[in-house]
Amino acid sequence: MVRSALGTGGAINRGPKRLALFIPAMTVVAASALALLPIVTEVGWVPDFGFLLLLSWRLLRSDAIPSWWAAPLGFANDVLTGVPIGLSVTIWSGAFLALDLLDRRTMWRDYWVEWALAALLLLANDVIRWRIDALMGARHEFAVVWSPLIIAILVFPLAAWAASALDRWRLGR
Amino acid sequence: MAPPTGARPGWSRRAQYGLFFGFLATIAGLLVGLFLLGLSLVAPQAYAGVRGVALDTTAPITGALRQATTTVGGLFSGAGNYWDAARQNAQLKEERARMHRQIIQARAIVNENRQLKAALQLREKTPAAVASGRIVGSSFESRRRFAVISAGTGNGVRVGMPVRAADGLVGRVVDAGSTASRVLLISDRANIVPARLLRGGQAVISTGRGDGTIDLRPLEVGRNPFKRGDIVVTSGTGGIYSPGIPIARVVKLDDDGAVALPVADPSNVSFALVEQPFEESALRAPAEAQGPR
Repeated sequence: MVRSALGTGGAINRGPKRLALFIPAMTVVAASALALLPIVTEVGWVPDFGFLLLLSWRLLRSDAIPSWWAAPLGFANDVLTGVPIGLSVTIWSGAFLALDLLDRRTMWRDYWVEWALAALLLLANDVIRWRIDALMGARHEFAVVWSPLIIAILVFPLAAWAASALDRWRLGR
Repeated sequence: MAPPTGARPGWSRRAQYGLFFGFLATIAGLLVGLFLLGLSLVAPQAYAGVRGVALDTTAPITGALRQATTTVGGLFSGAGNYWDAARQNAQLKEERARMHRQIIQARAIVNENRQLKAALQLREKTPAAVASGRIVGSSFESRRRFAVISAGTGNGVRVGMPVRAADGLVGRVVDAGSTASRVLLISDRANIVPARLLRGGQAVISTGRGDGTIDLRPLEVGRNPFKRGDIVVTSGTGGIYSPGIPIARVVKLDDDGAVALPVADPSNVSFALVEQPFEESALRAPAEAQGPR
């Protein structure tokens, strides 16, 4: 890359970080842990950071997080955020399977396709959570789900940017 | 163009097998997830241990961060109090005088009440506070409304106990670790509180709406009994919440009920009191009395 020649850091001794293979998974756990921030609100409109960053990594490159890691990462998310245990395990594994199958079908990829895929998966995530909440006794009107969903879709490019910046850092580019 | 029959990473057998077994492992993960989720739905108490340990390990982090943010926030709001202090002072003095008159009236009423109750030989239990804890976090990523408080089974907290603040009702305990517990707020959809109107005493049902407000419905179908500004208090029916704790203030009427805001806003309440259930038997069967959470 031409611009990297103008950077201050030398080109010598740069390379992947020592834990480069695990950094994507660790950042996803860190994003899930954002739920521990001491924010006390009456309205829960903040997006599901763990799922957003997981999708960003997966859409950025298919080898950053092996598909089967989705289940343990989902379990960590369940425990950290306090949602019913097994919910994120299911949704995250399902999302990875769906994307694995979709990867064979899609003929081209660009930012818009990725954003649309992310929006669809975020919608699926919210609909499943809405159904599970109803099964657990909290029958929300679907109107309550819309605004957090729209916020999550609009925040996705930010998460994608974060994933690509982290990717460049971990590979020492 | 037909899609290729499978993803081939190249001619390496090792890489091909790796991909295939990864795919199988993902499917296995999905199945395990479905199993765990099914267990959460039919037998939530199976996870009481895991969820308690998770609360114990995560709540101290949240609590420490909360301490830091309230300190910083206090600096700003403290500075804000000096702004326009003279007018505030006059206002507060006036309010204090008004409150003083009301307190005297209230004392007289309490005295009278006590005499009347003694005359009726009414046996009244005031539930003892079990523990007090700070509200350190909440489920701000979810449509379900939960808060985390810094008191757990080590302090005597049990699942099903009611939680209140000085201002009004907060909710009830649903998960208890040894030093922290999770509270189902009254603004959660699954939290149904038997209540009555403070003015008139008509029985109503309070249900959370999931967006910070509370839905109020009268028990008897008929004319809409609510007015804007009405206060709703617990009725004591069901045996969990003791009667007379303020729940919510009506802000909007709809066709046969009203939308209200909780009186005790968890984001402003710093301390929450965990109390004994009004009737001891309610603790033994909180799930049956209140429905699934």
